[in-house]
Amino acid sequence: MSSAQTKPATHAHKAEIFCRDEQRVNWHSKALWTLREKRDRAASQVPEWETLRKLGSHIKQHSLSHLADYLTEFESNCIANGIQVHWAKDAQEHNQITHNILAKHQVKKLVKSKSMLTEECHLNPYLEQRGIEVIDTDLGERIIQLAGQAPSHIVVPAIHLKKQEVGDLFHEKIGTQAGASDPTYLTRAARAHLREQFLSADAAMTGVNMAIADQGGIIVCTNEGNADMGVNLPSLQLHSMGIDKVIPNMDSAAVLLRTLARNATGQLITTYSSCYKAPKPGGEMHVIIVDNGRSEMLKDKILAKSLKCIRCGGCLNTCPVYRRSGGHSYNYTIPGPIGIAVGAQHDETHSSAWACTLCGSCSFVCPTKVPLDKIIAHQRYLKAQAQTLPYGKRHYMPLVGKLMANKTATNCAMTVARTSLNILPHRLLKPFSGAWGQHRELPQAPKASFDTWFKHNRGQK
Amino acid sequence: MTNMTSKDAILSALQNSAAKVKAMPEINIPVINEPLIPRFEQSLATVTATLIKEDGLNALNQHVAELLAQKNQVMSFVDGVQGNRENPELPHQMQDIDYSVLPGKLGVAENGAIWVELPQAHRVTAFICENLIITLSREKIVANMHQAMKQLDFSQTQFGTFISGPSKTADIEQALVVGAHGACSLRVYLID
Ligand code: SF4
Repeated sequence: MSSAQTKPATHAHKAEIFCRDEQRVNWHSKALWTLREKRDRAASQVPEWETLRKLGSHIKQHSLSHLADYLTEFESNCIANGIQVHWAKDAQEHNQITHNILAKHQVKKLVKSKSMLTEECHLNPYLEQRGIEVIDTDLGERIIQLAGQAPSHIVVPAIHLKKQEVGDLFHEKIGTQAGASDPTYLTRAARAHLREQFLSADAAMTGVNMAIADQGGIIVCTNEGNADMGVNLPSLQLHSMGIDKVIPNMDSAAVLLRTLARNATGQLITTYSSCYKAPKPGGEMHVIIVDNGRSEMLKDKILAKSLKCIRCGGCLNTCPVYRRSGGHSYNYTIPGPIGIAVGAQHDETHSSAWACTLCGSCSFVCPTKVPLDKIIAHQRYLKAQAQTLPYGKRHYMPLVGKLMANKTATNCAMTVARTSLNILPHRLLKPFSGAWGQHRELPQAPKASFDTWFKHNRGQK
Repeated sequence: MTNMTSKDAILSALQNSAAKVKAMPEINIPVINEPLIPRFEQSLATVTATLIKEDGLNALNQHVAELLAQKNQVMSFVDGVQGNRENPELPHQMQDIDYSVLPGKLGVAENGAIWVELPQAHRVTAFICENLIITLSREKIVANMHQAMKQLDFSQTQFGTFISGPSKTADIEQALVVGAHGACSLRVYLID
């Protein structure tokens, strides 16, 4: 991106705007927390849940640490099955390859099912500029596509919109009744509208949940059936996958399929888990394997672990910051804890790495044990090393480091803070407490520090 | 076709990977000792599908007779069950199918998923119909996904899918709506 363009706003700034409508924030937070609760119920019904998390983590780490072997094995088995395999170093190459295939077949309309990778590559505008109509077919994706927005969540992309807003949008774009907002009515209308798209598409494209090395096939999971409706009508099908999607075999897939949907929405499994291992008779099947920065992340032992992610969205649902700042605050296609872990390096405002309290709830729910809080702390460290701390933090963080490293200095500073909190008017102090203090009362300071209290009460014993 | 340069570039970049090396773990999950059919039925109920346990093919044939009498378009791939539509040349010609009747290969008790693999049919058959009916041998129910993967032989598979219930979405305000793009209902008939 050229520096001449205006910089996006920081996470804190965007979150501040999102938080102006308190009722909406509460509603958003509650919707996500409901998903978290469903996840808890589903997980607690599987006695071997923790074993599955550990297995999932090991399978993914094993695959990542033998990636070149598995990718090569996957490719040769795909070719043996009649699948055409392409490799793309980056988003640009991915989009070119896709366009070349579509152009060769004179595709005018492409139906697409949810794929965060094609979002990451900004494929839709690329194809649209070249005269290809792209229809997102997952209901949530279609809603935000019609609204001209980006997904705000990786599993429920339109979670930020209320049903009245969807109703108004559908009224304008697909002719539903004015004022109608019943989810069943709107879903049926979308079903009818998208049926026409499926039936008239020249090609279909999906993401990949798992690529199975020893089979030379891919697994695609959806609840709506949009991937399978799309892929199985036209003769041409394309599937994009990050290099991190490959796993050894179907036994590995079994482990991940048991946790993916349970952790995402509390379902036992997605409605459809489809395995595509060959083109349909007379058809063509293409798989595009994309790097786009992943091999670079693998060079860092800690960042590498973020590639264990299977995109269940569980860490977003549990995150107190995500729930109250919304998916559009993160300056990256993927929001929430995993979005920071894999995307902080793309955040020009260098602020998203701080959109985290390091509470660790995300790491606790992750089905493949991605150590999200550790990775986010590491992203901060990398920002500090690259001298790209956000404004403010750049000035005081080095001092904080020195201060905290020195026990006497810290104790003195804390005494000053306690005294100020008690004797100065809070409106004088509030500017120093940052965004945190803007809508909060500052705490009552205790008379003594914990250190003094401990020495006095317990120290002599 | 394959652009060797990008493949080589990616594979050589992977040589510098610092990902901690892990051996492939042994996947050894003990099977919970419980009757399979009740659990399977419970899972199907959770995913809003119906299980018909008794009288298998007879019950299904009776149901299909009613559907035909009501002028539904029924396409069957189950031996001994006759619909009123033949397998068309183009998959698009199935857009008005009301009911697809398909044989399932294996059922999974823990999540109600049924493996459907039908090379003689268009792949869209299980998805494009308004309603789906699947038959399953009661001997072919396993406890969990690990067992399922062990029992299934994928060596000849070109396309197959685990189907657990009718299609659904909760993309509008988290309200569950059954019937998104795939079938709007699912009935499963156990046969001997
Ligand atoms: S990091 Fe873990 S919890 Fe978050 S989306 Fe990925 S797999 Fe799910």
